[in-house]
Amino acid sequence: MIIDVNAYLGHFAFRRLRHNTADSLLALMDAKKIDKAVVSSAAAITYRNAQAGNEEVADQIKGHRDRLIPFAVINPFYAGWQDDLKICHEEFGMTGLRLYPKWHNYSLSSPSCRELVRAATERGMVISIPIRVEDNRERSWLLNIPDVPLEEVVELVKAHPKSRFLLLNGLGYTGSPLGRKNNGLPSNYAIELSRLSALLANELGQLIANLGADRLMFGTGMPFNYPDPALIKVEVLDASESDKEKIRWQNAASWLRL
Amino acid sequence: MADRRTILRSSKPQPRVSRRAVLKGSAAAVLGAVTLSSARGMAVGQTAPGASSGPQPKGKVIDCHAHLNHHSRATWEADDRKLIEAADKLGIDQLCCSTLTPHWPASLDGFRECNQWTAEGMQRFPGRVLGYCYVNPGYGREALEEIRRYVGDHGFMGIKLYNEYTCTEPVVFPIVELAIELGVPILHHASHSHYFVEDQPRLTDSGHLAELARRYPEAMLICAHISGGGDWEWTVKAARHAPNVFLDTSGSVTDADSVDLAVAVAGADRVVFGCDSSMTAGVGKIRGADLSAQDKAKILGGNMMRLLGRRKS
Repeated sequence: MIIDVNAYLGHFAFRRLRHNTADSLLALMDAKKIDKAVVSSAAAITYRNAQAGNEEVADQIKGHRDRLIPFAVINPFYAGWQDDLKICHEEFGMTGLRLYPKWHNYSLSSPSCRELVRAATERGMVISIPIRVEDNRERSWLLNIPDVPLEEVVELVKAHPKSRFLLLNGLGYTGSPLGRKNNGLPSNYAIELSRLSALLANELGQLIANLGADRLMFGTGMPFNYPDPALIKVEVLDASESDKEKIRWQNAASWLRL
Repeated sequence: MADRRTILRSSKPQPRVSRRAVLKGSAAAVLGAVTLSSARGMAVGQTAPGASSGPQPKGKVIDCHAHLNHHSRATWEADDRKLIEAADKLGIDQLCCSTLTPHWPASLDGFRECNQWTAEGMQRFPGRVLGYCYVNPGYGREALEEIRRYVGDHGFMGIKLYNEYTCTEPVVFPIVELAIELGVPILHHASHSHYFVEDQPRLTDSGHLAELARRYPEAMLICAHISGGGDWEWTVKAARHAPNVFLDTSGSVTDADSVDLAVAVAGADRVVFGCDSSMTAGVGKIRGADLSAQDKAKILGGNMMRLLGRRKS
């Protein structure tokens, strides 16, 4: 089995995405033998009212709940986010969040963000943080959105030991406390592999050695990304089959309570 | 460990096989790729018709954009070996390599020792490493002599230019004229962002290469790493009307549609597979592209073989 913890539905403001409807994403998953995927709204990254994107995702996944697991995009500085969180969790069955602090122009250390993290944690939701959406060098002339600094993530995981954080679209963890052995941090975060190297520098292998395979999860970033690069990472990874199974699906299944 | 053939065909883990066995399979791997177009039009789980059976064209898989490590790096020898091991795992038969100086602009002594190391790398990995001769065009006569020495005498397959000059500057023209004389391609570092890249003020983009191509229609110009971080849609479109500009798919960015757009705009005959050290990204983009097996075979090695076949000496 393969569970992709890093997938999306809907339009993105700056680039056409193919396979961005539930039906076409499922066809892509079938072609790549990916069984389930965690999805959130790509449009909500740039919508002022992110809840409209969550509503689009909720509508798209009707009839596909067995394979598409919806997460909510919540901006803790936008009016009514508490209502949106309640609706996403209780009505839409969204079991996690995706936070975009740089795109939505807030800090992970801001009181509103911390309040959102506490509220989501009380609901047992997973809190995922895409470190980036796209490579900054290809950015539109309209904006310049930096990656989420790993230092800010370190402070967040320390401050909320009972929360569960899933870090997406990142790399360079081995140069940060997040990826070091005996780092003194709570083991309340997991790292998704779509941008990690599995050959040459082999950051993925280093993270298995430092943190354990229990802390890594498979993700592609589709339909932003081709899914094959992530699939190939696991194929060529120099790791035991039991560790690969943890990464392909077991860790995600445990976190998502599937 | 997955075998070379399988990496390019599917995501299912396979038992380890010998290198001799997998070397035979690299072209078949291309043809075994499951294409999404087939998946869309067929029942869930089915693969493309003929994905793993039927006639399969033969051909090498050639990474058009690779680098050996500078010897100031303490682990250069082990890291070079890792590159070959990675190629083994991924089904890459040959790597077209340059060695770059750690700082730019490259000095005369700097690029000379890099080319010597590339030549040594070709000897350490015979048949696997092909050499690009790297020069700074600002050295004029010495740069031309370096190219004649390494392409002419040492059998290097092409010329590598970096960011010392924009490719449309006249100082670059003698290099291009010599490449035409020798019948070898130039791989030119390139990127296009919608802001001024301060640390690369003379950065070349595909529009510059298209302009150079119009001046020298006999030249074979490879636009480096369309997925190297700039706006790949701009890069592909700016090269549309330059038939002697080839688009290298390498780079760390794995944006879906990038290879597909390159083929749609420039044609499969003008797209060449590369990794530029982003190994799984490089192979994964080709495996993931929604293209025919024949087009993938061209991109993975057929086109590069065609360019290498135009050598005049």
